[in-house]
Amino acid sequence: MTASSLGTPMLMQVERLAKRYGEQRALADISFAVNAGEVLGLIGPNGAGKTTLMQAIAGIVAADDGQILWRGTPLPLSRRRKFLFYLPDGVRPWEDQYVASAAELFAAIYGRPEAFLAETIRSLGLAPVLRKRIAALSKGYGRRLLLALALLTPHPLVMMDEPFDGFDLRQTRDIMDVLREAAGSGRTLVLAIHQLGDAARVCDRFVLLAEGRVRGVGTLSEFRAQIGKPAATLEDVFLALT
Amino acid sequence: MRSPDTAAAHRAPVLPLLAKEFWEIASGRALWIMLLILCPLVGYSFFQAVGIYGEASSAAQDSPELASSLSPLDGVLVPTFGGLYLVATLLFPFVAIRTLGREKESGALALLVQLPYRVPTLILAKMAAIFGAWLAAVLCAASALAVWLAFGGHLYVPETLNLVIGHVLYGLLVGAIALFSASISESSATAAIVTLAFTIGSWVLDFALAGQPGVLGWLSRLSLTQTLRPFEQGLLSAGLVLGIVAAIGVFAALAAVWLHPGVPVGTKIVRSTACVAIAAAVIALSTLVALSLDVTEDGRNSFSPPDQKALAELSEPLIITVHLAPEDPRYVDLRRNVLSKLERAMPRITVRLATSSQSMLGSANDEAYGEIEYSYLGRSDRSRSTSPREILPLIYALAGRPIPEPIAGQEYRGYPLLANGSPALAWFLGGLPLLIVIAWWRSRRPPRFPAQLIKNGAQA
Repeated sequence: MTASSLGTPMLMQVERLAKRYGEQRALADISFAVNAGEVLGLIGPNGAGKTTLMQAIAGIVAADDGQILWRGTPLPLSRRRKFLFYLPDGVRPWEDQYVASAAELFAAIYGRPEAFLAETIRSLGLAPVLRKRIAALSKGYGRRLLLALALLTPHPLVMMDEPFDGFDLRQTRDIMDVLREAAGSGRTLVLAIHQLGDAARVCDRFVLLAEGRVRGVGTLSEFRAQIGKPAATLEDVFLALT
Repeated sequence: MRSPDTAAAHRAPVLPLLAKEFWEIASGRALWIMLLILCPLVGYSFFQAVGIYGEASSAAQDSPELASSLSPLDGVLVPTFGGLYLVATLLFPFVAIRTLGREKESGALALLVQLPYRVPTLILAKMAAIFGAWLAAVLCAASALAVWLAFGGHLYVPETLNLVIGHVLYGLLVGAIALFSASISESSATAAIVTLAFTIGSWVLDFALAGQPGVLGWLSRLSLTQTLRPFEQGLLSAGLVLGIVAAIGVFAALAAVWLHPGVPVGTKIVRSTACVAIAAAVIALSTLVALSLDVTEDGRNSFSPPDQKALAELSEPLIITVHLAPEDPRYVDLRRNVLSKLERAMPRITVRLATSSQSMLGSANDEAYGEIEYSYLGRSDRSRSTSPREILPLIYALAGRPIPEPIAGQEYRGYPLLANGSPALAWFLGGLPLLIVIAWWRSRRPPRFPAQLIKNGAQA
């Protein structure tokens, strides 16, 4: 299914993206599109190339081949930070800063009003740790802070690497609501998720990745039709297509 | 639903970025530990310098000639700031590396390069923080000046300021090298090794190759420590300042080139080559800038004012041919006592070594070795002296000018001072470290956050 068939404009296209680390092929001929306002899931096991793909799209690593188009126009490396924001996984930035300082920094840099900052802090449940140093945060609160930083940016497209890592079931559901709300307010989200159950709950469409290649792009119903199993779960689909 | 087209409509303010960089450098232990180590280093240097200066002053009490050699610049300021030089060379790299090293190690670099600032702006903000940190160190060392004044000592502002400027520039140069090292290294430890290779390598260049002829001598002039010497001698050289600023600029530019992890290595190499080429051109140009000021109170880098005036009026080219090897102590004397002063006093002067490959051992049988030939207005004369008392009359004779009369009462009389340096130890081992610890403690307190933010953020 294409973006036009979904009735939403195509926001970003990834065309023939490739990346090697020495002899190891990390990404090969990756192509897919992201539609405005959707939540797109990059699905794949560990080592499938999800993180490298996001980093290559954001320009954090240099791709060997391929290009990124924004509304049909090539988007050079130097301009990507104006259109999309990438939230990496497993980072603990500016550890000596206080949580509130880091949140205020992003709000000040991006000109976000205090009410917006307070609402972001509220929605992510960061209030109890605002006066804590980032180094002292638990894994879950560290993840919440990173999500807050990403949501404080005004970019139309935000890519998040494993946004639910470190959360229990209830917390994951809460964070999904927050992300859904962000998508509902006009932002486009690309989420790299290795837990297929989480992905099925929050994403509109999926890009299935395995061994650095795209194995399928579409909605769950499209995948079900493709494999001829109307009641298949995302896990069934993934196993059938990869 | 249509997403916004771009996040670029908002122009990002620089102040939050600057505040973050200053906070980052102040929140680590490295800066404070460096300042605490600086205290005994500078304090003991100052204490010793005051003691030796006092001994010399005691001997000079009955001898005006001995007193005239007592200058606070040589006797107190340069040795005191020697502690600051040690800290800049060995400790400051660790403080400067922190501005980027921590972000690389924690993964925050991926967030940093996505902020709405150009990479040069990010690097400039880090350089500003490095400058701030170094300024804190310079201020701690400069507190010795206040103690010196409190002892009743004398300071001549231009030469003191010049020395401080030299140390500020030297620290910034080390900071820029450290930032570049952090930019090309994956870890802070590697960055520290790279930076120390520059700073300690400079010592090796200085000790092993200084005074050597040819390429070795040229290499020794690349030593970072050489940059401080003119400032310590009371010379403010426009060419040197330009060269140091260009070197700081190129290391900062290289840090910017290598900062972004998404730029291909080939592109980085091309950009680096361009940066180095531009900097090399600027540094080469800076060597042609002859403008320099003797800012010392005793005018040690100049002849007496009447001689300076008379020499400045000799508008024809003076050609000096030196039959000495560069490593010969007589040549070192000649350069310090005569040639460098002449180059600053006369508008047109050419100094050349008879043979650039001449060595002391190989010239033992050369009868002309040791002679210095002076040519002016088609006339020439030779001398073996390295003293201006003999050489200046020779030049005046070649120019057909009378020897200028010295002006009585203008001689430098010196500033002898008998002082007990022990109170300085109380300041540098007690008061100043205490202030630093208090500042450290205050820097670790959480900043004040708007109460409304906390209240609204908590309303779930």
